[in-house]
Amino acid sequence: MAMTPRERVLAAMKREKLDRPPVAVFTQSATIDQMDALNIYWPEAHSDPKLMCELGAGQAKVFGFEAVRSSFCLTAEAEALGCKVDPGKSDRTPMLKAHPFHFDPMEGSYDTPNLMAPEEFVKTGRPAVIIEATKLMKEKYGQEYAVIAGNTGPFTLAGHLVSTENLVFGIMMDPDKVHEWVDAVNPIIKAYCQALSDAGADIIQMSEPSASTDLLDPATFMEYAGNYVHDSLAQTKGADTVLHICGDTKPILDYMIQTGVTGLSIEEKVDSAEAVKIVNNRAALVGNVGVVNPLLQGTPEDCAAAGKRIAAAGFNVISPGCGLSALIKGENLKALVNAVKSL
Amino acid sequence: MSAEMDALIDVVVKGKIKEGKDATQKCLDAGHSPQEIIFDGLSAAMAIVGDKYAAKQYFLPQVLLAANTLYMGLNLVLPMLTGAGGETKGKVVIGVVEGDVHDIGKNIVKAMLTGLGLTIYDMGKDVPIKDMVEKAKSEGATIIAESTLMTPTLAGMKACEAILAEEGLKGQIKTMIGGGATSKEFADQIGADGWSYDAVEASKVASAFLGL
Repeated sequence: MAMTPRERVLAAMKREKLDRPPVAVFTQSATIDQMDALNIYWPEAHSDPKLMCELGAGQAKVFGFEAVRSSFCLTAEAEALGCKVDPGKSDRTPMLKAHPFHFDPMEGSYDTPNLMAPEEFVKTGRPAVIIEATKLMKEKYGQEYAVIAGNTGPFTLAGHLVSTENLVFGIMMDPDKVHEWVDAVNPIIKAYCQALSDAGADIIQMSEPSASTDLLDPATFMEYAGNYVHDSLAQTKGADTVLHICGDTKPILDYMIQTGVTGLSIEEKVDSAEAVKIVNNRAALVGNVGVVNPLLQGTPEDCAAAGKRIAAAGFNVISPGCGLSALIKGENLKALVNAVKSL
Repeated sequence: MSAEMDALIDVVVKGKIKEGKDATQKCLDAGHSPQEIIFDGLSAAMAIVGDKYAAKQYFLPQVLLAANTLYMGLNLVLPMLTGAGGETKGKVVIGVVEGDVHDIGKNIVKAMLTGLGLTIYDMGKDVPIKDMVEKAKSEGATIIAESTLMTPTLAGMKACEAILAEEGLKGQIKTMIGGGATSKEFADQIGADGWSYDAVEASKVASAFLGL
């Protein structure tokens, strides 16, 4: 009997040898074309579990990708913890409007992180919606498809609460205060990861963009992000774990593996073959089709070629390298799916 | 150059933030003009910081530290310039386009361009394109620098070119774009005058525009 998409994705997470890799969107997966096909739109789908479940299944139902995924943004946790959020539009993800906590390394003045208890957090606001959507996805689509739940990493979330620039600046001025904040958010993230797994997620994909080499010195990656990811994401019971980081991750691939996660999701700024060589089967590699080029600005042929090239390089899962732009055309996504499935 | 100026450069490059103001004051006391301090001291220091960033010896935390040290010096000498004819090598309006709030890259570009001795009008983040064009017109700026990390906001950069064309300002006001979602191809496609991968390149693009 042929493998189900779920079996294929989970086998790829175990780095099993397959006739071809699965093709699935592990990052933000919704697009306008999916919204039109399903008549479900942002921003409503960000805060309604049923709508999130159906739109999150759109990558499989509309385009033939081999997974479904809950949550479309990285603002749910921050909002639950007090950030003001603009809900965005049909083509634009929500954005943070303000940071609720004071953290000023220049003045040396800092708020103390008094955050809600982890048990309360998982029942609050949009994190609770995402947990419920994950549960619905597992019930409705979990037989056939791997259910991915996306959340936000500890350094990134701490940055959302106090301003990322100030947090990064704090590393030079007052590292203890930086640790105080990342320490404070990590138990919440750990509880959230476990709640998503308990709700039925097969894979927790954590995005930690603020730990990219564009923001953090690779030499300090473990200290400010990696060790925390090890304690929260990598300890999740009952689900595979994938760490997503944007930008040129080549200098931190070893550290990302050290966190103990199942898989690494990376962008096209690292050459695919080089990434495979460095990672050397120590973790599953997920990626790294460029979101802007070729997916947004290229042709269907460009997208098909990228999928084939990355599969040939030896990636375990062929996926966009970062969250999909909602403006990406369906024909480009279909071309990617068809190219990988025909291998 | 002088020992004081060398010391100031060292203070900025190493990001000795608490010494930024004093080191600048010592240059003034040694007889350097505010112009010399900006162009031969602070500007030279930011160029070194840029080189270290390009060589991956420095990352964002070190650059932020140097940039904030730079501002310590600038805050002291800039007010002295305005009284003396207000000479500037050029004026730049900078901002993150409407719909996006990711502004760290923009802030670093601002620091590098400030380091070049340019006058910067920082519009912040989530800025309507029209406001940036209006600001450039009212301040007589010849460069608009736009940044975005996201994709839906790329449309705003295209709109900027259209507004400038409509008002007959293309060429007169040059545009430079940057940020995660942008590329050289995209810049060419929309008719932007320049694109840069990072803040170091951005300072080169602006220098070329202004013939520095």
